[in-house]
Amino acid sequence: MTGGRRPDGRGRRALAAVLLAACAPAPLRAQDDARIAEAQQVLAALVETYGVSGDEGPVRQAVQRLLPGWARTETDTAGNLWLRVGRGDPLVVFVAHLDEIGFTVDSILDDGSLHLRPRGGFFPSLFEAQPALVHAPGGDIPGVFLPRDTGVARRAPPPLRVSVGTASRAATAALGVRPGQTVTMPKRFVRLAGARATGRSFDDRVGCAAQVLAVRHLDRAALRHAVVFLWSVREEIGLEGAAAAAAALGTAVARVHAVDTFVSADSPLELPTFALAPLGRGAVARALDNSSVTPPPYVDSLAAVARARGVALQVGATNGGNDGSAFTRYGAVDVPLGWPLRYSHSPAEVVDLRDVASLADLIRAVAESW
Amino acid sequence: MWRWTRAARRWGGGAALGALAAIRPAGLAAQTAAAELAVRFAGWTAVAGFEQAATDSLLALLPGSARDRAGNVVVTLGRGAPRRLASCAVDEPGYVVGAVTDDGYLRLRRVPGAAPAPLFDQALEGQRVTLVGDAGPVPGVVAVRSVHLARFRAAAEAPFTVDDAFVDVGAASRAEAERLGLRVLTPVALAKRPHRYGDGLLAAPVAGARAACAALAAALLARPQPRGTVVAAFTVQSRYANTGLRAVEALAGPFAEERQAALAVRYGGTPVETVSLAAADSLARALAAWIEGR
Repeated sequence: MTGGRRPDGRGRRALAAVLLAACAPAPLRAQDDARIAEAQQVLAALVETYGVSGDEGPVRQAVQRLLPGWARTETDTAGNLWLRVGRGDPLVVFVAHLDEIGFTVDSILDDGSLHLRPRGGFFPSLFEAQPALVHAPGGDIPGVFLPRDTGVARRAPPPLRVSVGTASRAATAALGVRPGQTVTMPKRFVRLAGARATGRSFDDRVGCAAQVLAVRHLDRAALRHAVVFLWSVREEIGLEGAAAAAAALGTAVARVHAVDTFVSADSPLELPTFALAPLGRGAVARALDNSSVTPPPYVDSLAAVARARGVALQVGATNGGNDGSAFTRYGAVDVPLGWPLRYSHSPAEVVDLRDVASLADLIRAVAESW
Repeated sequence: MWRWTRAARRWGGGAALGALAAIRPAGLAAQTAAAELAVRFAGWTAVAGFEQAATDSLLALLPGSARDRAGNVVVTLGRGAPRRLASCAVDEPGYVVGAVTDDGYLRLRRVPGAAPAPLFDQALEGQRVTLVGDAGPVPGVVAVRSVHLARFRAAAEAPFTVDDAFVDVGAASRAEAERLGLRVLTPVALAKRPHRYGDGLLAAPVAGARAACAALAAALLARPQPRGTVVAAFTVQSRYANTGLRAVEALAGPFAEERQAALAVRYGGTPVETVSLAAADSLARALAAWIEGR
């Protein structure tokens, strides 16, 4: 099945079947313990690595370490990591982004504290009065995000600052802190009940992990065309890495699959009007968001591939943008793949590892058979 | 920059206390242990009224210690007059599970009643918490709206309160939550991640009180020779009108003199309440000297 083929009625019936299946608590094919364990091993390593937009080096290196020995990767001048497999047309690209939200040091103030600039969109109140890490070349420098001393009657804090425990600009500089360095809060991968897990930067380390898992299990002999697996940079600040990769490939790309978060309304705090993809029910076709609409025939084709390979698939619309949309201006069709995430861009994002394994299965299935 | 608490003024501050104590072998030992214990104690979850795991740790740590019927951990040194009391508070403000929803979320009730700081509840939003269930600690998170799905968040939106909190432990049903040992009255607090930064600073919820208890424990571990009788008490339920301390006074008093260990803190009442580990060392030396009547 190729990206240009319009699916027939069989595909639409398949989609209907998959949608129905998604509504039932059916066990996933990918639920076996070994798959969950491998998903956790890869994801935890990536989640516990830091990489604010523009400073993705440690995450890129972690991906390289996690890939199988045969994988020969390249890094382009933008910082994107490329892995090319297979030969021939059509060229299909999978892209997951390496970066995470956070801050950069804008300046060091006279009292030694750091004035920050946000990188990406999030609620700053979630960082206020929390531990901080300044990522310096010589190692992380610990500090704290300062609590406000005014404005306690509202949720949003004034612009956040970080203290590294010093009282002067010179003392802060002596620790190795410099403007431009990135700042985050410490994070850990923690298992919750069942197959659930929490941490920060699941967006988009889950996508990165799913691509790693898919590559590990890929049947290269089954590939009928060229595939590029791309781990991109600076998605959170405007799809910059993907834009560079898309420009480099031009019109050669027939189809692109952004592998990114499906921000789910599966939460007691969200409006139940759309994005209702429950956790634990498998990967999600992110058929519509703020940056792209997948042509319906391609959603049908995706559903057919998932059905043929026994991979659970949900279909929905959510908010946000995706790296694949950077390729559409060159004529590529964007068919984003995701997984349901709760509490996006917070320190307490929640995923279901069965969905991570399902997403990896879907990527592999699409690469090998579509 | 430093925000001195009222409790800190009671003791006069760590630096002043450091100057009180002469360096002796017992003092050196206390100094060695206090900073290490402060980091360890800052990792406790001990919501007021639910301090047993922390007091169990103290019983294991301190030779000759015992739990009184109120739940305090008490060590009695020496004999005769004068009879004096040194104490610190083990407990912390926090929450208990108030209800379990059909879909497995936990709702919260603050402990004690009033918020100890204006943004105390807001510190929960989108953060990890620890629930001390019947089968042991259970990790969870407090739900927060996904930024991608938040249609509008006014700049003047009111702070998050306990009534906004849904705790997500990964359970999909009430029965699954109950199988984890979670039920009404299960204590809940922010997950503790003691965080060292700067020149010997420690940040954590209630870091000041925990470092003060560490100083008292370190002073006791230094085996001071008391003047008269000294009762050292690690008290519970300080957040309920000092219930634990009042019980020690009733059960082991009267006392000719009382000292409550406390340290100056920065950012008090926040998740990054900050205390100086050097001040904890100084306090340990001062307490050892006080126990010896110097």
